[in-house]
Amino acid sequence: MELHNNRILTEDYLYPFSAIMGQEDMKLALILNAVEPRIGGVLIRGEKGTAKSTAVRALRRLLPDIKVIRGCPCLCDPGSPLHACTQCAEKIRTGKYIENAYMKAPLVTLPLNATEEMVTGSLDMEFAMRKGQRRFQPGLLARVNRGILYIDEVNLLDDHLVDIILDVASSGVNIVEREGLSYLHPSRFILVGTMNPEEGPLRPQLLDRFGLCVEVGGEGDLDSRVRLMEMRESYDNNPVEFAARYLDEDNVIAERIRRAGERLKGVVFPQRLLGLVSEICLQNNVAGHRADMAVKYAARALAAYEGRSAVTAGDINRVAGMAILHRRRDALPPSGHDDPDRRDDAGDRDDQKERWQNGSVDSNDMRSQTHENGEDRGGEGNRMEEDHQGGPPDPESRSEEDEPSGVTEQVFEPGRTSRVQSITQEKDRLVRRGSGRRTRTRTTQKAGRYVKSIHSDKYPDIAIDATIRAAAPHQRRRKKESGMAISIRRDDIRRKIREKRIGNFLVFMVDASGSMGAKARMIATKGAILSLLLDAYQKRDRVAMVTFRQRKAVVNLQPTASVELAVRQLGEMPVGGRTPLSAGLLKGYELLRVHLRKDPSSRPIAIIVTDGRANVSMDTRLSPSEEAIRMAAEMSGEKRVKYVVIDTEEKSVVRFGLAARLAAALGAEHFSFNNLVAGDIVSIVRRSI
Amino acid sequence: MTGRTMYPFNAIVGQDEMKLALILNIINPGIAGVLIRGEKGTAKSTAVRALADILPLIEVVKGCPYQMSRAGDPGVCRDCYNTGCAEEIFDGNGVDVVRRKVRVVELPVSATEDRVVGTMDIEHALSKGEKRFEPGILAAAHRGILYVDEINLLDDHVVDVLLDAAAMGVNTVEREGVSFSHPARFTLVGTMNPEEGELRPQLLDRFGLCVSIEGSRNHAERVEVMERRIAFEDDPEAFCLKWKEESARTAERIESAIKLYPEVNIEREKLFSIATRCMEAGVDGHRGDIITLKTAKTLAAWHGRVHVTDEDIEVAAGLALPHRMRRQPFEEIGKGRRERGYAG
Repeated sequence: MELHNNRILTEDYLYPFSAIMGQEDMKLALILNAVEPRIGGVLIRGEKGTAKSTAVRALRRLLPDIKVIRGCPCLCDPGSPLHACTQCAEKIRTGKYIENAYMKAPLVTLPLNATEEMVTGSLDMEFAMRKGQRRFQPGLLARVNRGILYIDEVNLLDDHLVDIILDVASSGVNIVEREGLSYLHPSRFILVGTMNPEEGPLRPQLLDRFGLCVEVGGEGDLDSRVRLMEMRESYDNNPVEFAARYLDEDNVIAERIRRAGERLKGVVFPQRLLGLVSEICLQNNVAGHRADMAVKYAARALAAYEGRSAVTAGDINRVAGMAILHRRRDALPPSGHDDPDRRDDAGDRDDQKERWQNGSVDSNDMRSQTHENGEDRGGEGNRMEEDHQGGPPDPESRSEEDEPSGVTEQVFEPGRTSRVQSITQEKDRLVRRGSGRRTRTRTTQKAGRYVKSIHSDKYPDIAIDATIRAAAPHQRRRKKESGMAISIRRDDIRRKIREKRIGNFLVFMVDASGSMGAKARMIATKGAILSLLLDAYQKRDRVAMVTFRQRKAVVNLQPTASVELAVRQLGEMPVGGRTPLSAGLLKGYELLRVHLRKDPSSRPIAIIVTDGRANVSMDTRLSPSEEAIRMAAEMSGEKRVKYVVIDTEEKSVVRFGLAARLAAALGAEHFSFNNLVAGDIVSIVRRSI
Repeated sequence: MTGRTMYPFNAIVGQDEMKLALILNIINPGIAGVLIRGEKGTAKSTAVRALADILPLIEVVKGCPYQMSRAGDPGVCRDCYNTGCAEEIFDGNGVDVVRRKVRVVELPVSATEDRVVGTMDIEHALSKGEKRFEPGILAAAHRGILYVDEINLLDDHVVDVLLDAAAMGVNTVEREGVSFSHPARFTLVGTMNPEEGELRPQLLDRFGLCVSIEGSRNHAERVEVMERRIAFEDDPEAFCLKWKEESARTAERIESAIKLYPEVNIEREKLFSIATRCMEAGVDGHRGDIITLKTAKTLAAWHGRVHVTDEDIEVAAGLALPHRMRRQPFEEIGKGRRERGYAG
């Protein structure tokens, strides 16, 4: 029973699998995986409140029994001694008696905040203290062997855990080399993940690991909705009785799964149907061969589950969609979302890098690319498909709808928003603080998530668990301090490594003077801010905007992460009048300074949109442009801020090049645009980060 | 409970929708919480803290750090080192069960993840060389109310933890040498000022109800607010004494609503009306339907009825649906439903 250490509580009262209404695809995908683990798991994507987690948890009751070596914490299979864990291998080698036991295949939940050593396994601290010897204490990957690893909100899983899971999932073995231990044990599991695409996409490598993928949605018709409410109420009123009522039905499914598992080997896969599988995969342009395999295994499992001895074309057609959904490269446009402009950040760094290199060499290129995407969805379809349910809806149509009647000439609606590519910095070693999701970073503050520990005596953030583990094997030799059970020396000390994502801080300083092009510029800038904020929706960025006109500069948008607020505040913003450039710079600089004071290790970005023709100064003794340049020179002293100047001077015979001078003084990148559109700013910002 | 005197719940002027939402959650924890959105200084936090005044009693194993109602749960109690319960049971003695008020447990915005989920008991590890689990805020909040002020400012990874626990009703810990899980079913009450940013959609959905409040526009009411506040600050004890009777009445009414709730029934036809509403509102998934139903039933119980009326459904939908509608990103939550009044 010690194996069930982490069993899900109140299991008897779980909502029964057979009482879940509808969601046939999801239920079938789960059942097929229970029949044939080689399918490779299932990813369940869907909106909130669609019984995703309920179904997975209910599945546990349906899992077949497995034969294990008694006492083995890694649930080793007596039938495959070659793949036994270090401990069992030793037993087998030395010819010790091996006793078999039967147990239900495990279903282990991986919490998002698990620390590394709990997942991989680590030194058994208590044993080490008592015996002065190192012994392996199995982790979650051992307990889940031959069972189901369930990750709720899998798209939120920290990278360090994703890496471990990916590694073990592909090799089927967990090799532990840490804390003076060397241990190896099998860890083959069915990966089951649930996610709500609104919270952001999943890393493609992890996505591809899932054999099947199903989308779930709410029931469309009234009758089922009502029926569902009744069932739910009845369950809530008396969970025990409700579960008991469906026990028989659950048992029928469990028995079918068990029988299907036994029958599986005998199910024939006709040669001619192999062609059909590869044809489907080719047609949908899926990457790699994992889809083919998933279809084959799933179709066979379906045939077995339905008690047939041969796979039919119908089986293949039934499961092909699930195996291809998340791998498809050349998808049909998702229905109801024909927004060519929206490209979605599938989250893959490599992918991004590639798009970067191809995509944003200069802004013209960017624009033409946008255009192409509009006409030809090829290559983008799957990314849109992946996320089409969740993300913010078409921003374009909104801004058109929102056009209030009777706007004065002086106030401009935000311009077209344009799609935003992923803005992500490569993870670096620099430590920062903050709360957000765009950039993952190591943090020194004690606030991030503790992911693992390293040997160190420098920092105050001591990983006490790791420290004790490091000290444990030496306890028998060391002299005890009075009253303490454990003596810790300097070189035992381990420091926590924490990780969290930080959001970026962007300040726009926009020239709203009456000089030429102000209108278009304003529309483009507002559009850009909204585009960036829409993208920031999932990433906790903060954006602020300062405009300057007449005699003064105003903070139009206080630093905010709220798109709603930004829209409201950006709505009313008059333009026209003279250009108090230096005042604008000062105002923006103040915002930056406040931000840097709160968060000294952040690297904010300032985007200055102007033609540089200052004609109002704060101090009358200086000429406006001279003052602006001086101001800029001072601002350039703040090396933590990255400045970008977007020059909007008209292309005419006479050019002053004032903005260029400003950029030089700031040490900023300088971009020149005649007809600025939101996409230009967005692409510049993206490149700057 | 605490030494500090709380402003009495009933003495809060206006904000009827918020008060109703809180009360409904006390009567029926299945409603799964309420999110209170509003500007600064609208008695959001006061109301939540004042709940202590009117909360009902529950049975809890004496000293149980996990707030279990009975001892002997194989998952929790066997691995629980914090009380002598296990030995008592082995010895054949019963465990003491005490009756105490439902608790409001506050989760500070600055709370670390360790404090929230629980962690290895360091003192025990150092002094005894053994591992044991020290329960965190989620354990304390089981069967109670978990209150997060400024929930939109909560660190992302703490939000993840909250979501996990709220979804499963279980807190699973795999951290720092501890592998443990214990039940954590709580009523999540959050307050936020929307000016400081929105909540993540996933977290938003976890709240059963959502109310948007603003300062009173009524002259007389504003004066009343000031007068009561001053009276309270001048002499908190006397002020509370004055309201004691009314608090007791509310508490009593809540108790009887709790008893009545299981008897409340709803005609099938009314379920269709709920489903229709939800579909028209375009809510994601089915949580909207279920919460609306529960809220309507709870409302009936609160009003001492065993039949759900159309009005109950109307009010329930107004509380349960605004934050679930599929929103355009630029729309405000609860837009266009302010005009609908409080029908309690």
